[in-house]
Amino acid sequence: MANQMGKRYTCAECEATVLVTKAGDGELSCHGVAMEIAQAKPLPSSD
Amino acid sequence: MNIAMILEMAADALGDRLAYGTRADGLSYEALRQAARGIAERVDGTGAERLALMESNAPIVPATLFGAAWAGVSYAPLNYRLPEAQLEALLGRIEPAVVAAPHWLDNKGSSDRAFPDDPDAPAVLLFTSGTSAEPKAAILEHDQLLAYIFNTLEFASAGEDEAAIVVVPPFHVAGVAAVLSNTYVGRRIVPVPGVRFSAEDWLVTARDEGVTHAMLVPTMLGKIVEAMEADESLRVPTLRALSYGGAKMHPSILRRALLLFPEVDFVNAYGLTETSSTVAILGPDDHRLALYSDEPLFTARLGSVGQPVPGIEFRIVDASGETLGPDEPGEILIKGDQVGGKYVGTDSKVDADGWLHTGDRGWLDIEGYVFCEGRADDTIIRGGENIGPAEVEDALLQHDAISVAAVVGLDDEQYGESIAAMISLRPGVDEVNLDAVCDWVRERIGGLKTPELIEVVDEVPQTATGKILRREVKRLLEEQYR
Repeated sequence: MANQMGKRYTCAECEATVLVTKAGDGELSCHGVAMEIAQAKPLPSSD
Repeated sequence: MNIAMILEMAADALGDRLAYGTRADGLSYEALRQAARGIAERVDGTGAERLALMESNAPIVPATLFGAAWAGVSYAPLNYRLPEAQLEALLGRIEPAVVAAPHWLDNKGSSDRAFPDDPDAPAVLLFTSGTSAEPKAAILEHDQLLAYIFNTLEFASAGEDEAAIVVVPPFHVAGVAAVLSNTYVGRRIVPVPGVRFSAEDWLVTARDEGVTHAMLVPTMLGKIVEAMEADESLRVPTLRALSYGGAKMHPSILRRALLLFPEVDFVNAYGLTETSSTVAILGPDDHRLALYSDEPLFTARLGSVGQPVPGIEFRIVDASGETLGPDEPGEILIKGDQVGGKYVGTDSKVDADGWLHTGDRGWLDIEGYVFCEGRADDTIIRGGENIGPAEVEDALLQHDAISVAAVVGLDDEQYGESIAAMISLRPGVDEVNLDAVCDWVRERIGGLKTPELIEVVDEVPQTATGKILRREVKRLLEEQYR
C-alpha cells in the first residue's frame, strides 16, 4: 500500500519514526517489517 | 528537518487553499511558498545571518518566517512599537542582520529553490517581553519548533471552512506558533493588524470572515466579554474553539466568557517563549467540568493551565532543588524536545539534566494538573506572609467597576512589603469608592491580602500581549507615594 502524505509511520521493533513529506507508491519498512501509521492523539487547537 | 518543510508540505498537498488573509484577497499556500522563496533570494548574498521583521500582522509575516527558513537564516521579529533607538539597539544585538520590507512579497522565487537541512540551527530569535528584567533574545531551533508541531498536530487535519483569527503580534512566540501550526493543519489565518486592540473590530472581523478558531491573551478576552455584555449584536456564530494564554487568566473573567460562548470549546494554553509555545493544555471538557461541578478538585481547575502536552514533563522544586509533591508550591521546571532555553550571548536556563528553570511559581494537583501563580519574583512578602498578586487581582476583578488590576509589593519599613494595586475602570464607570473596593477584597480573601493602597488610572501599563508590566507599575506607584 502506498504511503500517505503527512502521516507518521513507526517501527514496532525500534523507535524509528518517519514523516511522509512527499507521498509515493513505495512501502516503508524497518527491521524487515512494514511500518505502521502512528495515530497522534488529537489535541484541541491551542493556537 | 527545517520548519520550511511545513509550508512545502502544505503547498504540495493543499496548494490552492487559502493560507493567509481574507476570503476576498488571501494568499494561497502555493502563493505563500513562492513569496517565501522570493524572500530567500533577497537574503542570498547579503551575508546576513538573521532576517529581522518590524511589521504588524500582514502577509509579509508568514512569508518572512518561512523565507528566513528557506534562506537558512534566523527569523527575528521585533516589536515594531518600540521607539527607533530601542529597535536599533535590538538590531545591533542580532548582527549581521537584514530587515524584510513588505514589498519583498512581490518577488516570486524560483521553484528550484531548495532549503537547507540543519535541524540544530537557530530558526527563530525572539526577544522575551522583559516584564521583570531586560529583554533577552531566546533561540528556538528548527527541531524544537517541529517537535511541538509533530507531537501535537495532524497534518492537513483542518476542514476547508476553518479559519483562525490571529491577533497576537508576530514578535510573540504565540504569533510564530500560530503561523506554523495553522499552516501544518491547513487552516486559513485571518490576521488582525491593530496597533490598539479593539474588541468590536475583532468581533466584526471574526463574524465577517466566518472564523472558527481564535487565540487570545486574557486582557483581550476581558475586553471582548465587556463588549459582548454591552451589545447583544456582537456575536461570532461560526466560532467553535477559543484558546487563551500568554498571561494569567483570572477565573472571574473566564466564567463570564464561558457563559457568553456556551457552544465554544475553551482551551487554556500555557507556554513560554523558551518552550516553542504551548507545553500544557486545559481542554474543553476540563472547562465544562470546572464550571458545572461541585467537586472542589474540578472547580479549582478553572485556575489551572491543564496537563502537559505529549513529549513534555513538569516538575516542581523547592529552593534547594528538591522535587515537591502534589499541591506543594515551588518553581516550575519543564523538560522535552520542544524546550529551548538558550539565548543570544548569555547562559542557558536549562540544567545538565535538560530541565528548563522557568522562574514561574506553581504546583501540580493530585492528577498532575499544572497551576501557575506567575513569576516567582512577583510574590509579595508582607510580614513573612507570601502573597501571590494573582489572587488579589482576581478578587479586585470580581468587582463590577474594575476592568484591569495590577498588584505589586512596595517597600515598607514595618512589614517588609506592602500591597499596592493599580486599577482601570470598566467602560461607562467614571468613579469608584476605594474604601468599598477594599471592603470587597477583604470579604473575599481577608485583611492580610487586602491592598493598602489603590491607584485608579486610565491605562494599566501592559505589554502588547496584555502582560502587566509590573516593573513599570511598581515604578509609577513608588514615584507617586514616596
